[in-house]
Amino acid sequence: MNTDEVKFKEYQVVQPPHLYMGFTKDELMLKTFFLLSIIAFASVVIMGVNAFIHIITALGTVLIVHNLIHSYQKWKGYRITYESPTSPMVAGMIVGLSMPIASTFEVTAGVAFITILVFKYGQGKYFQRKYLNPAAAAKVLLLLLLSIMLFFENPLSTGMIFHPHHLELNLFTNEGFIESMWIFQRAVLPFLGIRLPATQSLMFWQTHGWIGGACGILVLIVGAIGAYWLRYKWRIIVSSLISMTLLSITIALLTGGDILLRIAFHVFTGSFIFMVFFMATEPQSTPMPGKSQYLFGISLAILTFILQLFNVLGGSIIALVLLNIATPFLDKVGFKKPYGHRESKGGK
Amino acid sequence: MVAHRKNDYNFKERGRFEVDISMKKTAVGDPFTIVPPAEKMVLFLRQHVGRETKPIVQPGDPVKCGQKIGEINEGDPWSVPVHSPVDGKIVTIKKLSHPLSGEEENAVIIETTSEGQNSSLSPLNPNDVSKEQLVERVREAGIVGLGGASFPTHVKLTPNKKLSHLIINAKESDSNIACDFRLMVEKSREVVNGILLIAKILDVTHITFASRTKEGQTPEFDELLRENNITIARIRPNYSVGSERLLVKEVLNKEIPSGKFPPDVGVVVHNIATALAISRAVYNGEALISRGLTFYSKKTGGKNLWVRMGTPINHVLSFLGMSSGEFERYVLGSIMMGPLVSDPSLPILKATSGITAFTREERDPYVNPLPCIRCAYCNIVCPVFIYPQLIMEAEKKGNVKALHKLHVVDCIECGLCSYVCPSRIKLTPYLVGGKRRIREKKE
Ligand code: SF4
Ligand code: SF4
Repeated sequence: MNTDEVKFKEYQVVQPPHLYMGFTKDELMLKTFFLLSIIAFASVVIMGVNAFIHIITALGTVLIVHNLIHSYQKWKGYRITYESPTSPMVAGMIVGLSMPIASTFEVTAGVAFITILVFKYGQGKYFQRKYLNPAAAAKVLLLLLLSIMLFFENPLSTGMIFHPHHLELNLFTNEGFIESMWIFQRAVLPFLGIRLPATQSLMFWQTHGWIGGACGILVLIVGAIGAYWLRYKWRIIVSSLISMTLLSITIALLTGGDILLRIAFHVFTGSFIFMVFFMATEPQSTPMPGKSQYLFGISLAILTFILQLFNVLGGSIIALVLLNIATPFLDKVGFKKPYGHRESKGGK
Repeated sequence: MVAHRKNDYNFKERGRFEVDISMKKTAVGDPFTIVPPAEKMVLFLRQHVGRETKPIVQPGDPVKCGQKIGEINEGDPWSVPVHSPVDGKIVTIKKLSHPLSGEEENAVIIETTSEGQNSSLSPLNPNDVSKEQLVERVREAGIVGLGGASFPTHVKLTPNKKLSHLIINAKESDSNIACDFRLMVEKSREVVNGILLIAKILDVTHITFASRTKEGQTPEFDELLRENNITIARIRPNYSVGSERLLVKEVLNKEIPSGKFPPDVGVVVHNIATALAISRAVYNGEALISRGLTFYSKKTGGKNLWVRMGTPINHVLSFLGMSSGEFERYVLGSIMMGPLVSDPSLPILKATSGITAFTREERDPYVNPLPCIRCAYCNIVCPVFIYPQLIMEAEKKGNVKALHKLHVVDCIECGLCSYVCPSRIKLTPYLVGGKRRIREKKE
């Protein structure tokens, strides 16, 4: 190599920019984990020690599997998938909070195991991207497997995630709907000796359903903070919440029931409110263009609503997984007109 | 490189993202210091957008300060000449890798004998000469856009459309540059003279001075502008608005259609430093051989320097009492858009509005990026509303149709998408690559 060639090497130009905001993925994950921890704390206060065990089981399972894979990758000299445990920690926490409190701990551990191994590590490795929300996909997979237990004599004792009683509810009529609300009327503030009506307990103090949805209002507040602070895909949140509210009002008007109770049920049950803020905004499996995000949110609300009415077990996560599958297509529509193309602004 | 955090007065971008300007803040109060020429000056024969100039000197030739050493090619309407920045002797003409193109290009090495007097051209009285003669003077003086684009100024002064509006860009949006502000403070009269010359040549009815200064920050300069009927547009603190296309939108609320240029909407934008160079070329007969720039390193903070083109970076470092051994790499010009080089013998070009020096300890955050998490931050921040992440995916697959649909050609290469990426992905190479792919396909 002559001197000029050496110079040429030294002069190699590196592409800009050379300044960085400094807000890394780790920071995003840690802050999300912090927000989830607030919800987890409230859930444990409301639902008791079982909620704590579910969360710890999910977190522990995920972290054990992550550490094993991480150590193996290091030992073999493979490319490390997750340098830090923050992303698996968030996944574990989401699994914990998206489990029904009536579920068994083994099932929670199973969902967490499938989440981290199959849908977080496996999906990323084989598809170079996560098309499906890991926790939702793991739940759907396990749901399919466990649905077989519906045919068993005593499904709950064999580890059934979803109570078969759900299948008997009739949410199409006001009577059926009111009747199915009994489970929420049990909710109490034990230390104050207060019994809340269903509307209020659905919003503030649920002892039934998803752990993460124990206090729907808190999820709404913490989720809104996250959406603003960490820039979650807020269009999905806003469009699904508005759509679900409108659908609830519509069914209440059609069936002649209590509008507030319908909103409280359809919007504030954990399987919707928690999912909307912390699962449906999972970045990898949701669309990029703004209008596509609106479309995603509206469709998610409609699908969840329909599946809820038909008592389909795990309706909201099935809806989410279906929309995750549709995301690559949604990514191709809904583009904003760029600068220079907006006729109203002078572009062509 | 530098990972900065929030502070009280940052540039605000779309989606509430902020661009840190702490480097700039350390420089705004620092007056220009003149850097004497180096023993050996390195003059690339192409310091503009266009073809390389022809060398008109031979090794061993003596040269005077301001003397032409690179001549424009006959019939080439774009190129501008290159002048010697010192009195001295030509040592050699050799190929070196150009900091902007990365390609090997001719450079003239001059041994300095003295600083010399930059007066190779005779002063002109603008009232006694035609517009064409003024434009010719601008070209002869080797003037290019000094904001960083190095587009030949004489071309912008001869639009084939009638213009109504002249915008002077003193927005100084780059977070490491403060030299435009110093021009307002220290060279106000010359700057205003230059603006009036441009307006005279272009025959425009409205002149707007776009600045990020606040009322009362540069009172004398503002007064001078008002006396000369130049409107001051105080632009919101924002980085991307510094781009010509977006500045026109910000000032006049006119969107330049895709593939078109400011003259297509009756506007032309010139940089404040270019106005100063035009004033000096006409009134003083000075060729463009020096410019103001902002140097930044963690050790020195921001320093405004007046430097001759061709001065190697290591000479600037030793002038500031440092050595090249202390640094690993340097950004030339804008920290968001300029190239990064590692050779300190590389010279200052006409377009070099700044030098930012990094030590080995100041690690490059874009090394070892993580996989994209599709957070959409890059979409949110993009000032021209395109989808950098989707463009990256399309470019990786070589999907020209998708690149078209995603409007990659409208990217202004501002670098904001990479700046905000939590996975520290440098998207610029994909955006530049996507544009190139479309160009090649067309050809
Ligand atoms: S900001 Fe980075 S991680 Fe987020 S979508 Fe864009 S490229 Fe992907
Ligand atoms: S570099 Fe291009 S794509 Fe990225 S933010 Fe700037 S204009 Fe948008």
